[in-house]
Amino acid sequence: MELFLDFFRGSDGFSLLSVYHGILRLSLPVLAMFVVVRSARSLLGFRREPEVWAWLRLATGELLPVTHWENLLGRKKNADIVLDFATVSKNHAVLTRLDDGGWTVTDIGARGRVEVNGNRVLSGRVNYGDTLSLAGLEMVLEPVSQEEARLQANSRTKAGKGNSPGLTLLLLTVFQLLVVLELVFNRPEDRMTVITAYGILLGIQWLMFVGQKLLKRSGFEVETIAFFLMTIGLGVVASAYAEEMYKQLIAMGIGIVIFLVLGFCLRDLETAKKLRYAAAAAGVLLFLANLVLGRSINGSRNWIYLGGFSFQPSELVKICFILAGASTMDRIVTRRNMLGFVIYTAFIGGCLVVLNDFGAAAIFFVGFLAIALLRSSSYPNALLILVGVGMLAVLVAAAVLAIKHFPHVANRFSGYGHIWEDSFNKGFQQTRSLMCIAAGGLFGLGLGNGWMQYMAGEGAADTDLVFAYVSEEWGLLMAVMMIFALAMLGLFVVRSAKVARSSFYTIGASAAMSILLTQAILNVFGTVDFLPLTGVTFPFVSNGGSSLMACWGILAFIKACDTRQNASFAVKLSDKGGKRP
Amino acid sequence: MKSIEKRTYFALILACILLFGVLTFVIRYFRYADRWVSFTGSPHVYTNGRLDTGEIVDRSGEVLYSSQSSQVYADSAQTRKATLHLMGDKAGNIPPRILRAFASKLFGYDKLNGTAAMETGDSELRLTVSAQVQSVALQAMDGRKGAVGVYNYRTGEILCALSSPSFDPLDPPDLETDNTDGRYDGVYIYRFFHAVYTPGSIFKLTTLAAALEAIPGLAEQRFVCQGERYINGERISCPKAHGEQSLREALANSCNCAFAEISLQTGKDALTKQAERTRLSESLEIDGITTTRGQFDLSDAADNDLAWAGIGQYTDLVNPCQYMVYMGAIAQGGITAEPYLAASARCGGRETYSAQQRMTSPMLSSQAAEVLRELMRYNVQTMYGTVDLPGLEVCAKSGTAEVGADANTATFAGFIDSRDYPLAFVVVVEEGGAGSATCAPIARVVLESCINVMNGEQ
Repeated sequence: MELFLDFFRGSDGFSLLSVYHGILRLSLPVLAMFVVVRSARSLLGFRREPEVWAWLRLATGELLPVTHWENLLGRKKNADIVLDFATVSKNHAVLTRLDDGGWTVTDIGARGRVEVNGNRVLSGRVNYGDTLSLAGLEMVLEPVSQEEARLQANSRTKAGKGNSPGLTLLLLTVFQLLVVLELVFNRPEDRMTVITAYGILLGIQWLMFVGQKLLKRSGFEVETIAFFLMTIGLGVVASAYAEEMYKQLIAMGIGIVIFLVLGFCLRDLETAKKLRYAAAAAGVLLFLANLVLGRSINGSRNWIYLGGFSFQPSELVKICFILAGASTMDRIVTRRNMLGFVIYTAFIGGCLVVLNDFGAAAIFFVGFLAIALLRSSSYPNALLILVGVGMLAVLVAAAVLAIKHFPHVANRFSGYGHIWEDSFNKGFQQTRSLMCIAAGGLFGLGLGNGWMQYMAGEGAADTDLVFAYVSEEWGLLMAVMMIFALAMLGLFVVRSAKVARSSFYTIGASAAMSILLTQAILNVFGTVDFLPLTGVTFPFVSNGGSSLMACWGILAFIKACDTRQNASFAVKLSDKGGKRP
Repeated sequence: MKSIEKRTYFALILACILLFGVLTFVIRYFRYADRWVSFTGSPHVYTNGRLDTGEIVDRSGEVLYSSQSSQVYADSAQTRKATLHLMGDKAGNIPPRILRAFASKLFGYDKLNGTAAMETGDSELRLTVSAQVQSVALQAMDGRKGAVGVYNYRTGEILCALSSPSFDPLDPPDLETDNTDGRYDGVYIYRFFHAVYTPGSIFKLTTLAAALEAIPGLAEQRFVCQGERYINGERISCPKAHGEQSLREALANSCNCAFAEISLQTGKDALTKQAERTRLSESLEIDGITTTRGQFDLSDAADNDLAWAGIGQYTDLVNPCQYMVYMGAIAQGGITAEPYLAASARCGGRETYSAQQRMTSPMLSSQAAEVLRELMRYNVQTMYGTVDLPGLEVCAKSGTAEVGADANTATFAGFIDSRDYPLAFVVVVEEGGAGSATCAPIARVVLESCINVMNGEQ
């Protein structure tokens, strides 16, 4: 090894190492770009082909496809099945597919009656062959035959077609190997740690890839993006505190377990719906534990210590919060249970204010908005807007109080926008960040060669200011790339909503993405003084175990909205063949 | 499901905010990264508290600052003193603003490669000032407080930007225990760029520019001075009764009674507009130095205030450098070159900066400028013979601003009307007594020195 390093360093002025660095500086961003662009093409370029789950045959003989697990039937234009007849209400009924392949219909307060085989129902089962009647308009529910299902599955574009996820992962692997090589050159004293840690990362990512292949799933882009960000994050940790790489990997392991378990649970809607209550309860427990055991770090009391590990419960509550907030169409349109969620959110918000963690409060608030917006679809939104504005008012009031009473918050806010005028005190972190971003240029100073590492830990360079850390050592291009990667996941979630099976998944993915994006916004904008520095982590990149676990957990919701043919382990294969009665 | 599909755009909006913010930041990066990187104390570019910049030289190549030599500043104590405010002091009380502004050009910082491709040594920043002229100016100030500025109004090069008092940065006075009799009061202030003064009668050049456009036939008007005049019960006086005068006699006499009349005839709006055209209350950005704004505010002025404002008293304040530029505008027919301090920068054999000449917006009409030029020339011929240089047409106006009992600020501003030596100048001496008597000799030796330097370059 030493010999190998010496060979590269060369004996006199000229060294192969410098040549190597010159090549590496360019090849890392180029490889990263390939990884991100290939994933983007795959995630954003797919044709949104509807999945047909059943048919409704009208008396005229016309066949209407049923393309979701939850379908709004009514006269209005954006109903899923538009029945343009004067007697039918705008929102008339919801037709819901159950996990066992059966269907139920729910009357959602229509003027005309909902009948199955001539019997009025408010919410009841519909079997294939049954006649469904909406205010006298009759239609028959018909299954998709095995043959049709097979044809449909074959005709839908397979996930990753044209942009093989395997090749993308291979490119990411090359990227990772180059990262390891550079770290070994720049940090020979940590080389064993670096090689081992990245080895574990590589092992886990390929294991997951193979596992998905065995499950006959072909979409791996979402995970690839996460591993890409993790690669950068691990590099930051290697540069700041190499010995913490293992801690970060353990957190990743736990996070991936949460990701997989949650992903599998989300396949069955009934299981997922049951999980909601457990999740809501877990969220409350986590916060109560925090209130009792909480310790103060940097002024916020949102840390607890368990067996030598420091741990931030509010991070994991994010997963619980999304689960508790997700809801199915029949509930959405009958406005059931929204009040419960509002109270739940208020409880979380209150806890965060007591714990003095305003960054997290802002994140939950945006998450709440995302969920509330989706759940308010079919009745007047006034109540929700009122609740939203009320929460914002409380948040602002609490922030004002906090600025008055808690010096660390006041310090953060008062420096905002005036960082250069007080560069040794209130603007210390941001001015140093900008200085280092500028020093890094587009291609960076090389991993481990930056100055931000001396501001890690207490100075939060490896967490709150990680955008600057990455810019300095990896270059601004790479820092921008990690933002593209995240924004691209956001676009994917939005695109997928059109072909979502259930609103439960749409709400989950939309809230998950909103939370991740808000974190990125607060993190990056705080670092570059577009917003006050709130001490929020960048998803998957910032050093921090609880944050990383939460990010992987949240990722399960994004995975569950991927309905491309055979794409996601968190989505059942489309086996739609129904049984005729 | 369709009804909720569009509501996921919420996440799209967040993604757009993130992308838009990052785009904005990238634009800011390309605009400002060179400033961020040379941030004071930056470990990337500082070694032992000193910028690794190479050398800063004056227009003749004399070294004013070197990061390679042990003593950092110029060899001669006189030069060190004369360029103190440009180069800064060791304790950091006087910041080296130009150095900071150009640091990134000197160590070869570029926004693509960051500091990775930085080269140190063999870099040079060449200034437009002349150490020799600065020294002459400092000696002429003879310990008095004030500022001397000279610049080439055709190109914009500042040859002299002196602030007095000064000290040798290698032998700073002990101001903490202060046994210096106030000799160093305000020594850390770069007076030429950062002080503002009550202008006194040199401001009549601004009033006149406004009046010439606002009052038809002003040049033919006659003005009768009885030594004093009352406006709103307030006395405006001249040292003596000037009697009946033409316009040029009124300016040469610097007759307050006549100019009170001219101000009243011109009116608030026209005066304010002229002050705005000359950018009196704006800052100039000169190679990392932002000048202090002057002041001309007639919003609450009664007629007596208006009269005082027109003769450079009331609440009027001007910055010496800014007024020097106005002199250039008169000399050039209304438009002049923006002043600059840095001529060029070089790093590792490649030029990284070269000054671009820029012109100001019109500060007065070319007709008014022509009239003013003639009147100022007449001033010198009849009143300030001491400043006149053989074979050259110097045009000027003096002022004696009353800023308190027995504390007059002496001011003097003008230009040489010449193609070969197109120099505009300003001299301010605090507690300097009568304007022309104090300042004209200073202006003369400094201009002579400038001409010598320029002759040496041809």
